[in-house]
Formats: sequence, C-alpha cells, structure tokens
Amino acid sequence: MDRMDIPQGTLDLMILTILTREPMHGYGLSQRLATLSHDSFQVNPGSLFPSLYRLEQDGKLKAEWRPSENNRNAKYYRLTAAGRKQLEQHRQRWDRIAFAITSVLEGA
Amino acid sequence: MTLLHRLASMMRWVFRRNHAERELHDELRTFLDMAVAAKLHEGVSPAEAQRQAALDLGGLEQVKEQVRTTRHGAWLDELTLDMRYTLRSLRRNLGFSAVAVVSLALGIGANAAIFTLISAVMLRTLPVKEPAQLVQITRLLDDRPGVISYPLFEYFRDHVTSISSAFAQGTFDQAIVIDGEDEFVAADLVSGGYYNVLGIEPTAGRLLEPSDDALSASPAAVISDRYWQRRFGRSPSAIGKTFTIRDRIFTIVGVTPSTYEGARPGRAPDLMLPLLMVMNDVQRQATDFNWLNLLARLKPGATVEQANAETQALFTAFVQSQAARASEKERPAILRQRAAALSAPDGFNPIRDNIGQPLLILMGIVGLILMLACVNLSGLLLARGAARQREISIRLAIGAERGRLVRQFLTESLVLAVLGGGVGLSMAAWFSPKLFSLFVNGREIVLSVRPDWRVLIFTCVVSLLACCVAGLVPALQAVRVNVNPALKQARAQGQGHLGKALVVAQLAISMVLLVGATLFVGTLIRLYAVDPGFDSDGVLVVSVRTSRPYAAPRATAVQRALLDQLKTLAELRSVSAAQAIPVGGGLFDRGVQVEGYSFRAEESEQVAFNAIAPEYFATLETPLLAGREFTDRDSEDAPGVAIVNETFARYFFRNGLALGRHVTSVGVTYEIVGIVRDAKYQTLRDPVLRTLYIPWMQRPGQQPSNYSYLIRVAAGDPMRVVPNLERLVRRADPALRVRTAVTYTTLVDRSIGTERIMATLAGLFGLLALIVAGLGIFGVVAFQVARRTNELGVRIALGATRWAMTLLVLRGVVGMLAAGVVIGAGIALTLTRMTRAMLFGLAPTDPSVFVVAASVLAVAALLAGWLPARRASRVDPLVALRHE
Repeated sequence: MDRMDIPQGTLDLMILTILTREPMHGYGLSQRLATLSHDSFQVNPGSLFPSLYRLEQDGKLKAEWRPSENNRNAKYYRLTAAGRKQLEQHRQRWDRIAFAITSVLEGA
Repeated sequence: MTLLHRLASMMRWVFRRNHAERELHDELRTFLDMAVAAKLHEGVSPAEAQRQAALDLGGLEQVKEQVRTTRHGAWLDELTLDMRYTLRSLRRNLGFSAVAVVSLALGIGANAAIFTLISAVMLRTLPVKEPAQLVQITRLLDDRPGVISYPLFEYFRDHVTSISSAFAQGTFDQAIVIDGEDEFVAADLVSGGYYNVLGIEPTAGRLLEPSDDALSASPAAVISDRYWQRRFGRSPSAIGKTFTIRDRIFTIVGVTPSTYEGARPGRAPDLMLPLLMVMNDVQRQATDFNWLNLLARLKPGATVEQANAETQALFTAFVQSQAARASEKERPAILRQRAAALSAPDGFNPIRDNIGQPLLILMGIVGLILMLACVNLSGLLLARGAARQREISIRLAIGAERGRLVRQFLTESLVLAVLGGGVGLSMAAWFSPKLFSLFVNGREIVLSVRPDWRVLIFTCVVSLLACCVAGLVPALQAVRVNVNPALKQARAQGQGHLGKALVVAQLAISMVLLVGATLFVGTLIRLYAVDPGFDSDGVLVVSVRTSRPYAAPRATAVQRALLDQLKTLAELRSVSAAQAIPVGGGLFDRGVQVEGYSFRAEESEQVAFNAIAPEYFATLETPLLAGREFTDRDSEDAPGVAIVNETFARYFFRNGLALGRHVTSVGVTYEIVGIVRDAKYQTLRDPVLRTLYIPWMQRPGQQPSNYSYLIRVAAGDPMRVVPNLERLVRRADPALRVRTAVTYTTLVDRSIGTERIMATLAGLFGLLALIVAGLGIFGVVAFQVARRTNELGVRIALGATRWAMTLLVLRGVVGMLAAGVVIGAGIALTLTRMTRAMLFGLAPTDPSVFVVAASVLAVAALLAGWLPARRASRVDPLVALRHE
C-alpha cells in the first residue's frame, strides 16, 4: 500500500498518544508510528521534529538527554501533566469527529 | 501557562542560540545514526545504508530549517538576522545610507517640530482637576473670545445653572514694594472662586478662598512656585511676608504647585491677588468696562451646549437692560454684542487663536515635505534594487522565499526610518523652542515647548509610515525577478515606468509647495509694499513705568520733563511722544460733532483719537499736508487745537478743506490747525481710520506710562542711545523707570511676524522641494539615457542630429513636468483655500501665482534634465552599437 501523508493536525495527537506509554526519542517515535499504522503513514522528519519542538515549547512535552539502547546519548521526549490534559481534549474531539463522519456516511 | 512556556523557550533561543542549535544538530545526527544502524541490521551495505538513511531524513539542513521556521518566535530570529544584515549593508554603502537618513531626518524632524508646537499650544490642558469640565463664558469679539465686565461676571456666575462655580481673572502687572525694594511683577487679580474652580492644592500655606475676596484690613495674596523660587529660593519664610501695592499692605499666605502656571498658557503670573481688594469703583460697577476673563466648572452631567444656551439667553436679557439705560445712538452697538460659553480645557488661550491656523498650515507643508522625502527615498531604493538584481536572482534560485526577501528589504527601510526618526526627534527638540520664539517675536510668553509623550508617539507613527511608504513598492519590485535573462529587458522597462511615476509624484508635490511658497512670499512682498505713512528707519521707541501713578498736575510736569531730558541726547534729530503710534494700535474712540456736517441716522459718530506731543509728525516723518504741527504753546490753558488726517478731512469737508474748521468732543471744541498724510495705526492690513490728533497737554488725566516716546537719531543705530536712557529718565523724575526700548523697525517687523515666518518657512521648503525634485529628474533622465544608448547610437548613425537627440530626451522631461504640474496644480487648488485668511493682496486661487510656480518648477526641471540630456547628444554611435 502507498504511504499517505498524515492529515494535518493529527500528528500532535498521535505523538502524544504514543508517548503515554513511555518516553521516546525521535527515531523511535517515527518507527513506532510506522509500525502502529501498519506502514500506512509516512512521517518524514521534516514534519516530525517541528511538531516535537512545538509541543516542547508549549510545555506539553519535556525533553532530556539520556543514554539510549546502544549507549549513545539521545534526546528523549516525555509527556507532562499539561500534555496529558491536551491529549485527553484532542482524543475526545477526534472521537466526536470520527463518530459524526461515520454516522453521516452510514446514514446517507 | 502555555504562553509562559513559549516565552521561556523563545528567550532560550535568543540568548543561548549556539547551544540550542548544537542540540538540534546532535539530535538529528543521532536520528541519522540510528537509521543507518537499523538498515545495517537489515543487511544493507554500509554505503547503501548511509544513502538510504540520508534520503529518509530528507536533508539535515532542510529539517533544521523546518524546525527553525515553525517554532514560536521564529520571527524574532528572522528580525535579528535581518537587522544585522541591514546594519552591515548600510555600513558598506555609507553614502546611500547618509543621504537616506538625512532626508528622512529632515522630513520627520520638521514634522515633529511643528507637532511639538501644536501639542504645546493646542493640545495641552491645564494641570488642574478634570480640565475637560472647564468652560469659558465670555463676550465674543469677531468670533474670538473677548473680555467681560465685573457686573456681567457676577450676573453669569449667579444665573447660569449648568455651572457649579466660576471665577473672574484680570491682568494687573504692577510694581510692588517688597522688603523695601521696588519690584515689577506680573500679577493676576482673581475672584474668590478661583481655586475652587481649579481644584488644586497648595505646596505651602493656603490658597485664596472666597472669604478673601472682600474689602478687608489684611488682604491675602498667593505667589507662584516660580516666583517663590526666584525671590525667596523656596524658603518657608515667604509665607507671612508682606508687600505693598499703592499703600495697601498684602500678606503672602501660600504658594501654588509648580505644575500650575496660571489659567492663561504663555503667561505665568507671579502673584494672585483678590479682585475686590484692588478694583476701583469704575471697574467694579461699569457694565461697559470690559476687562475680565471668566472660567467656570460644569456641574456633573451638564454639557457645554447647555451652558452655551443659557449664556445666550442670559446675555440677551443683560444687553437689553444695558441698551435701555444707554442713549439712542449707542443702542445698536450695544445690541450687536454676542456672548458664548466655550469649552476651555486649556484655559484662556489666545496663543492658540493667534497661531493655531498658521501652525496647521505649516503642518500640511511639512507633511508634504515628508512625503517628498519618502518618494525620493523610494526612488533611491528602487535604483538600489535594480543594481542588486543578480544577487536577488541567485538567492531566489537557491531557494529563498520571495516573502522572506521582501521582509528583509522592509527591515532595511525600517532601520532607515528608525534612524531618521531618532535624528529627526532630536532636531525637533532643538528647533521647536527657536521656532516658537520666532512666532512669539518679542512678546513675553512663558511656555515650555519641548517634545512630550504625544510628540514621541507621533514621531514613531510617522517613522513607521515613512518606512512603509518608501520601502514597500521598491521591495516588491525588487523580487519580481524572472530568472530567465531573456525577459530582463522587459523588466527594466517596467522599472522605468515606476521610476517616472515617482518623479511625477515628486514634481506634483513640489508644485503644491511652490504654490504655497509663492502665496506667502507674495503676501509678505505686498505687505512691505504698503505705504505705512511714516518712516520707521532710525527711530527708537521707548516706554516708561512707575510704581505708583502720579497726581494729575505732577503727571503733566513729568511728561514735559521727560521730553526735555530726552532732547539732551547727542546726535538727535527730533524727539516726540504719542499715546498711539503707527502699527502699534492704541487709538481711542470718541464721538464728535463736526462743524458743517450732520450725521445721518446710521452713520457712526465715533472717530479715532490720538494724543501727541509737539514735533510728532516731524519725528515720524509723516508729511504735513497743510497747516502746522503742535508746539509748546498748545498747552492745557490755550484754546483747543487739533490736527486731522487725510481720511478725516476728505470725509467731513468738501475738497478736504479742513483748516480753520471746528470739531467738538466731550464738551471741548478744537480748531483744526493741520492736515497730515494717512498712516497705518492698527496693522498694515487694516484700513486707515478717520483720526483726530490733539496735543497731549490738552488731554488731562494721563500718566507718563501711557505714552510711547519716539527718538529719531541723526545717523546710525538707534539702539546706541539705550545706555543713557535710564539716567535721563530718572533725572526727569526719580520714580520713573524705562520699561521697553526697541527700534521702530523691530516693532514693524513684529507686527507682521507671522507673515514673515510663513514666507520664510514656505519659501525654504519650496526651495528644498525644488532641489529634491531636480535631483529626482536628474537621476531618472541619466538612467533613461544609459538605457537607451543603443537606440540613440542607431539614430545618430542613421543621420539624426545631436541636437535632435537632446530634444528627444528632454521631451520625456517635459512630459513628466506637464503631468506633475497639472496634478500638483489640481491638489493646490483644493488646499490653498485654507490659507485665505492669512493672505494679503492675493487670492488663494490667483492664476498668476500658479503661473509663477509652474515657471519656476519648469526652469528647475529643464535645468536638471539638461545635463544628462546633453550626454545623449554625445553618444558615439560606434561605441553605442557595441554596447549591450
């Protein structure tokens, strides 16, 4: 299947969701995203990193340098309390939209 | 919360930029390494793994740039970079930068200077409680605020219900005796409600209360902070000090705050005295003795319109009763009076009434100058953009956004505008007080004229506007590059059109400024051409004062003695004195009966009177047309004699034969013994009135201080006699002092001070506009010639004469000139109407003015275009044809 571009604005939602489980670095995130979406989403670093930096600037993520799996230093991103709240709001909104669209498609 | 985080991270990027950049780099490299490692793990070869990983990343620098541009505060980054780049590039092109900053500084500075004056004279409010609630209730004189009588003040104060309190104020400059010394102070007489209405607190002691405004044995007075500083060095011993005015002893009870300098901007009284203590009976009771100003405070919720309506109604009733008590003859004049209540947050402000309109016109003029400077700068920037085409194409080719480039060019304009604004503001701070003193020219006006917060905001706004106007179009034009070189020719063509349009704009603005300059310079020329009826060269005008008035017989003796003393001056031609002197005003009105003339019902019997000393007309060099001057024998015991002017003689007597006829006024009969040439006693603009001159000895009840003493010197500067004056004056009487001594030419110049300033400034700005427009034309024509060298070479090779080539180029200039003149004239026609009141002998739409302005502009434009056009004639066809 061809890889699609991630719809606008949902990249933040997916990043925040993935990070609820555990802190991750940029490469790990991009790999996880590809895996979870069954390879449907191609996230290029040119979109991923700006999103990460924006979320960090807004205080939704906190970053720190830690040794990684192969003992190199990598920048790990962690969800903050504000980030969790933001995630909850985004999640609710996404559910509502998805439900509405599905209803329209089935009802018409 | 989010905002705080954003701000914090923005600060981190600003201040620890290198660290942040390195971190980003490390993070992306780590990403790359991990991707390579993963691919190696899958079994891809090392070289292939590197390549694929690099492709997946999409380019290290590109990702970095993405992060940089999308994070918050990226604009700040951009701005800092642009600023640094701009400063570097401006430093490299010092010539261009200097020209740009100087022209902007001149334009912005001129605007800031005029606005400083406008702010000080028209926009400031009194530093009292709620100045917006203050109203002035007054009689109107020619639509301007006038003065009222004390009974009228009481009437308004007690009957206008929209106001909660009111006070009256009158001028009373006096010599007082304090600590045994004579001192001349500026004092205001104020009624009891003065400080109630103003609502200010004293810095020391107490202020006058309504109870002080009554006849009392120990009257109180309040001094200003300025006087407290000057006389007492702010010592507390000032409270309780006494001083004497005309045998009455006053006690100083308090000091007003330093921010308050009186209810009349420009006049800072030293002393405030209770009105009732100083007024004489005439001033208190006469309904036609008008000398006071009234200021009142509106009740909460009341409006100026309500107060005005009440004022009109009450005043009508007042003048009705005044007319009923007056004679038949006086009634029409009384009933013609008008009054109004005016909003007065700045108190009594005659300065605004006098120079308000000239200032607004000047504001318009300097606004045009700024526009001119901006258009000029725009042209310069345009040319600079054209020179940078290569650089811009390269930058666009390697991926710069057009918007980003435009922003960078605008930053350049912004920096120029900020620099220009800064320099302009300091110029204004230096220039404004000087300009104001020019307007004031000699009158004693105390007003702080320095840039205040309003001027600061104004300058910022104007600088920003200048930046946008000058920089936007060139910035947009510069990036409209098509990298395809084949289309470059068409590009240059479009740019030529824009350049021409800018020159036409400059010419139009210059035309408007030249029309203005011609109008004002023309007005001044016509004013100087007016025959004033006397010769002001070589005459000194002196006035005197005393600390207390003389008793009647002593007064006349002192007057004679003073004149005798002045006559002892060396190098004298003649000396005289008069109550009113030409261009000085001061004539007084009296009703007359003229022998052999009967007044019709609607004719006015009022005639202008002047009391003069012997040899007056000889001193003034006003020609005596018939009869004789007054002599010492025309004293108070001798029969009444009078001299009349031409206007009087022609009005009342057939063929102007007035000699020997009689005129009666206030019970005294005068025989006409002389006729003199008309002279301008009010201003040079006003027509001459029917005037009757009587000998000063035959006008009883005057003081030496009521007269101006004229000294005509035989040769040289009249001011040379000034050092001797004080001595001579005291010899006439020990209590006498010199008050002012100026040359007559100074007085005449002062009387047309505003006209002189307007002519000077308008003329200067017109000249400036001419130079700027000339430079603009020079630049554009030179550019055109350079561009068309090819074509010109071909034409010459084909046989055209060199002269024809010059004409060909000049035709372009004529085209721009015609467009500029027509547009400029159109704009000028609508704008010059506003100057009508200030002109003399010229109508605002006088065609000759426009012709003169257009001619001057045409000559300048053609001259400016001539030099580069001549180069067109010198084109060598061989060189030109090889020129690409």
